[in-house]
Amino acid sequence: MSSELWIAVLATAIGTFLMRCLPLVWMRRRIRKLAESDRIDAMPQWLSILGPLMITAVLGVSLVPSDPASPLSWLATAIGAIATLLVWYRTRSLGWPVAAGVATYGAVIVVAGMGG
Amino acid sequence: MNLQATSDLSRPWLTGIREAIPLLGGYIPVAISFGLVTVQAGFSTWEAALISTLIYAGASQFLFVGMVTGGAPLWLVVVMTLLINVRHVVYAPNLAPWLTHHRCWPWLMHGLTDQVFALAHSRLPQLAERQRLGWFTGAALLAWGSWIAGTTLGAVAGEWLTSRWPLLGEIMPFALPSLFLVLVVPRFTSRQWSLALCTTIVTAMLCTLAGVTNLGIPLAAILGALCFYAVQFDTRNRRQE
Repeated sequence: MSSELWIAVLATAIGTFLMRCLPLVWMRRRIRKLAESDRIDAMPQWLSILGPLMITAVLGVSLVPSDPASPLSWLATAIGAIATLLVWYRTRSLGWPVAAGVATYGAVIVVAGMGG
Repeated sequence: MNLQATSDLSRPWLTGIREAIPLLGGYIPVAISFGLVTVQAGFSTWEAALISTLIYAGASQFLFVGMVTGGAPLWLVVVMTLLINVRHVVYAPNLAPWLTHHRCWPWLMHGLTDQVFALAHSRLPQLAERQRLGWFTGAALLAWGSWIAGTTLGAVAGEWLTSRWPLLGEIMPFALPSLFLVLVVPRFTSRQWSLALCTTIVTAMLCTLAGVTNLGIPLAAILGALCFYAVQFDTRNRRQE
């Protein structure tokens, strides 16, 4: 890699790190200024709403199959998602619903692949 | 891996590692693809691993390598990759109320990816204050390590792996939507939140189908937030009437 390319890698790495780190420094100062009992309220409401919605947006993106033209991949995604939700409803845990979702999704892909 | 509050964790870093294991299903196949794409673009194995170590942001790494290979000016490459990562600015403030005063926290933010944030946002409030640093360190280091290891594996043997087990790369990434689903579902607590969450999911899916995924994430979240405020405004108006 050329030295210019290394500089580009470092600039991107430092920029990405600062975008993750500086808002924390800002928020910690804001919290420190307010009373200890108001720690949660120190966060502006729009920010506390936007955080969970960013995760939800990433969920939306990840629900679209890599081959959106294939009805099978949509079917497998839907069945995998239902399996995840059912196991979550029963166990209220983190690992088992994910394992069940992946196994079900994989089973639909494999079985449909054998049939096709 | 229970999501209920746990206060008897003697080794929180180990619990963090255990609870971050579902992330690997999504991280490793994508990291293998990145390693493969990067060496095919003319980078060496250790250069690919170093990019994953330093930048550590999936989509922007693919864009970085793609733009460099396409001959784009390097300043534009840097600007575009940083623009993709802008969404990360809202993550750390959302965790801040649950972080202790330890000086390591700002450095640990290097590991604050979408997935680690989603996990930490659910779990940190349930942990005792003294357990949070250990838990986050364990979870973030496992995720980071798996990303670097997956990239190296992809750079060294990606072609062989994808030809040997083609389905594995197709099936394992479903761990990510599955995990996000588990993290998002408990937030359907009211009509207001349900509307905001559904709007966000549908918008993000439509943007992805339209090929504007990276713009779609902040756009979908902003639209969801607007729905949230619209319902709040509507409810207040009705109460006043």
